[in-house]
Amino acid sequence: MASGLIGTGLTGLHAAQLALQTTEHNIANVNTPGFSRQRTLQVGNPGVLSGSGFIGQGTRVATVERMYDQFLSEQVNRAQARASEMTSYHEQLAQIDNMLADSATGLSPVLQEFFQVVQQAAANPGQLAVRQAAVSSAQGLAARYRSLGEQLGQIASGVNKQITTTVEGVNSYAEQIAALNQSVVLAEASTGQPANDLRDTRDQLVLNLNKLIKTSTTVAADGSLNVFVGSGQQLVVGARALTLTMTPSAADPNTLAVGLRTAAGTIQEMPEKLLSGGSLGGLLSFRRESLSPAINDLGRNAASFALTFNAQSALGQDLLGQSQLSATPNSFAPNVFNLFPPAVTASTRNPAGSPLVSASFVDPPPFKGNFYTDLGSSDYRLSSDGTTVTLTRLTDSKVWTGADVGAINTLLAADPQGFTLASTAPLLAGSSYLVQPVRDAARGITVSPAVAADPRLLAMAGPLRTSSGASNTGSGAISAATAGSGFAAAAAALPIALTFQAGGLQNFPVGARVSIDGGAPVLIAAATDSVPYTSGANITLVGSVASTPPAGFSFTISGVPNNGDTFTISRNTGATADGRNALALGQLQTQDTMSGKTDSFLDSYAQLVSSAGSRTRQMEVRAEAQQAMLEQAENSRESFSGVNLDEEAANLIRYQQAYQAAAKTLQVASSLFDTILDLL
Amino acid sequence: MRISTNQIYGGAARSIERNQSQLVRLQNQLSTNRRLLSPADDPIAAARALTVRQNREVSAQYGENQQEASARLGLVDVQLTAVGDLLQSVRSRVVQAGNTILADSDRQAMAAELATRFDELLGIANSRNADGEYLFSGHQGATVPFARSAASSTTAAATYYGDDGLRSLQVGPSQQMATNVAGSELFMNISDGNGSFSTSALGNGSGSLPNQGTGQIDPGSVLDPQKWRDALAGGFPWQGASNRQLQIQFSLAGGTLSYQLFDASTPPPPAAPLTPVAVSTVLPFTPGQAIPLVTTTQPPATPVSTDFGAQVVVKGTPAAGDTFAIEPSTNKSMFQTVQELVDLLRTPLGSSTARSDFIGKLQQHLVNVDQALANVSRVQSTVGTRLQQLDSLLSATTAIDIQYQATLSALEDVDYAQAISDFMRQQATLEAAKKSFTAISDLSLFNYL
Repeated sequence: MASGLIGTGLTGLHAAQLALQTTEHNIANVNTPGFSRQRTLQVGNPGVLSGSGFIGQGTRVATVERMYDQFLSEQVNRAQARASEMTSYHEQLAQIDNMLADSATGLSPVLQEFFQVVQQAAANPGQLAVRQAAVSSAQGLAARYRSLGEQLGQIASGVNKQITTTVEGVNSYAEQIAALNQSVVLAEASTGQPANDLRDTRDQLVLNLNKLIKTSTTVAADGSLNVFVGSGQQLVVGARALTLTMTPSAADPNTLAVGLRTAAGTIQEMPEKLLSGGSLGGLLSFRRESLSPAINDLGRNAASFALTFNAQSALGQDLLGQSQLSATPNSFAPNVFNLFPPAVTASTRNPAGSPLVSASFVDPPPFKGNFYTDLGSSDYRLSSDGTTVTLTRLTDSKVWTGADVGAINTLLAADPQGFTLASTAPLLAGSSYLVQPVRDAARGITVSPAVAADPRLLAMAGPLRTSSGASNTGSGAISAATAGSGFAAAAAALPIALTFQAGGLQNFPVGARVSIDGGAPVLIAAATDSVPYTSGANITLVGSVASTPPAGFSFTISGVPNNGDTFTISRNTGATADGRNALALGQLQTQDTMSGKTDSFLDSYAQLVSSAGSRTRQMEVRAEAQQAMLEQAENSRESFSGVNLDEEAANLIRYQQAYQAAAKTLQVASSLFDTILDLL
Repeated sequence: MRISTNQIYGGAARSIERNQSQLVRLQNQLSTNRRLLSPADDPIAAARALTVRQNREVSAQYGENQQEASARLGLVDVQLTAVGDLLQSVRSRVVQAGNTILADSDRQAMAAELATRFDELLGIANSRNADGEYLFSGHQGATVPFARSAASSTTAAATYYGDDGLRSLQVGPSQQMATNVAGSELFMNISDGNGSFSTSALGNGSGSLPNQGTGQIDPGSVLDPQKWRDALAGGFPWQGASNRQLQIQFSLAGGTLSYQLFDASTPPPPAAPLTPVAVSTVLPFTPGQAIPLVTTTQPPATPVSTDFGAQVVVKGTPAAGDTFAIEPSTNKSMFQTVQELVDLLRTPLGSSTARSDFIGKLQQHLVNVDQALANVSRVQSTVGTRLQQLDSLLSATTAIDIQYQATLSALEDVDYAQAISDFMRQQATLEAAKKSFTAISDLSLFNYL
């Protein structure tokens, strides 16, 4: 009897001790991340049948269980993956936002200053000091474009580094999870009891993994956890972990893509869109959706600026009197800004012997006395299936198809994208090229070394001079001549002395074409050919090659000339006080020079700022929302699994009392035993 | 709901953090007076602010250009006034020179004075602006625009080396304003005579004698400009395309003083000059009568009538054989006009015939001086109009600038009342969060164990 009593008491004592230990374990792990509180599951020992029925045999601790809910835990994992994605996206985007935030470091103040100096130069084209200032601020502007491009480039390389470290993190977690799988399986198989703390550690690792990449998990029968990424690619299977690795993208070798090293050792590039969630997903979508467009937007701005400025500059005359009309060789510098040509990258999977493809910017078309470009901020993909060549605009998947690159160029002439393509040979079947017209433009813009060395080469003056004959008797007056693209061909026969005779103008150079008010050019067959005179009509000398719209140089004659009155167009030698071309250059600032004559430089930059801003704002809000959802999920899990010290304190007292009570039964048993012994 | 210890601490820490970041943000706004700390705060306002700021600065640049243009035109205006004053004084000397009691020596003195006027005029024409550029050289700022012509030149006293270029400044979004006046326009291209034609006494007969009578031709006037233009442009079949000249020859027809119109034009050299051919019938003349320039017979003897729509008046009594010439106006520079006056005044006058001829010529030159004066005031009025326009542009620019400033401020600046009240509220919340957290963290069952 006494042994039964002591035995039963001992089971109570033992159970209370285990419960106290578990409580202490809980208290000790109050701050352990991922720890699920544990509790002992106490069951009564089966009774022993006696004549009086079943006599209780005390208690035992069946198992120590952790307060863990698979559903809550997965909810936290999912919320964590999304919150990390948004947060890392937002963190990266905020860099762009902050970079554009400061009005002192953005593009707009230097752009403004540059055009201010251009206007000052227009007012004082003969002053070297002003010209020097113009060159300096041109260099300042180019440097600002470069530094903005460089900053975006640094963000890009920072993102690439982060992607690499993230991938390393994923691999390390995967290995740890695989190792823990092994431990869990071993531990549980030998004892049949759940390995609570190992499982907690493993769950915490999965949570940490979800901070990096979104995963899905399944628990196998043996207790090991299988982890999948993307669209179900295995990352951890049992005790084996696969490795993610960085590999240059086949489509764009300049970009690092994430690949999965298969069991066979080959690297399988994973489509970016599948790698969602976690900071890796955030980084990848930031790079794809925000960073690349921002770099292209800035590049488009820089390219449009340089191209239109150069185009206008080429129509001018420098302080040395040089222009396109000067006899060669000359040191006339039509391009004030130098630019990298559009980048074309061949896919690494292209068949051997694929031709070299290149792209170049088209000359900006004229518009309202200035120029504009059609450049967009998209990248393009040129591919061939052997019979058809396809150019795809990647932002909206607009497609141009043709038999060869030349056919594509013909289509692009009608639907201008600001660049043309060239290929050294027909494209091979299955080849693919990435065309990035403006990707490097901001990083590559510089002031032409010739102009930088000698500010006199800035073409501030107009190349043509017009004058009415000194002995004219009528009131006819000739306007200043405006040079347009191709004017040099039209002005080959300078000076031209037009004579008014019998209601018409004569003496145009033989072989030239003349267009009145943009009408169809008329060929001049003889010097006596008379072009009907209309006061104020815009007369364009098209040169020998007819083009639509008529390009060359234009002027108007207005008033009432008398017979024999002459009007002369000659080269504008010695025109040191002429700032006409500088005025035209200055007007570029407010003209619609971009996106097919819809935006000014600043409009386009403002769009970049506002789109970065609104994206940041959007991401901030989404990140906050995800964070709140994560907190909620964590709360739910914590509420269920977390340790409450007050509760544990109460448990301590409870189990202490149970222990004391059990001890008391021992004492009672002992005294009962003593009573019997005393009887003897 | 069951709360774990970590939830208590974590939640409190998060809410304090959140409050703090809000507070710092508000403080940042207050201390910088910027509502937009980054474009993300209000992307649309940020983009608009960029555009508005550029517009404002562009407009400010236009304002500077307007002031610059104003200053430059002001300088031109000063020089124009000087030219006008100079011509005015030349004019009064010419009027004075017409006084018949003057001796040759008096005229010589006047000639000397006008010669210095010539130099003065050349000086003004070659004046420079503050940057050392010549004012009246068109685009060729570094070229001396005017210089005396070579002695061999009989038609010009000074040559213009500049061009017609206008130095323009951008004074508005789509407005450029010329800030100079080309020297050719101001000094050179001045129509002589009455602006359409000039008249002169040609001499008597084919010899080199001056007109022998007392007849004086006036500058004449165009009555119908359209007819004049048509006649000049080809309605009148001149016998030669160059040196177009109508002559009025006086003769005695049957004892009556009569006149007849001749076409004295010639083909261009090297063709031999032609003799004048009569283009009207012989008509009786009354001194002081207006002679209409109407032809009745024309070579080759086709009786076509051409009306020039103009007339001249001959006063006094010309002698038979006296001839007056009428030529379409050509451009005569101010320098030429002054130089011719100097030359005229230097010539001594012997006979009364010469004196009468001199008066006629003086008259003719006075007309040219008046043309020059009219040209100066025409130019001056265009400059004045530009200055006036600049004035109104400038005041518009100032008004627009204030407008832009207001827009910018509304877009970017902090509403202090709002921000300060937000700040106080946030501060109170943060204090409450901190106090309640300390209170909660003090509660632990372990304190009672």
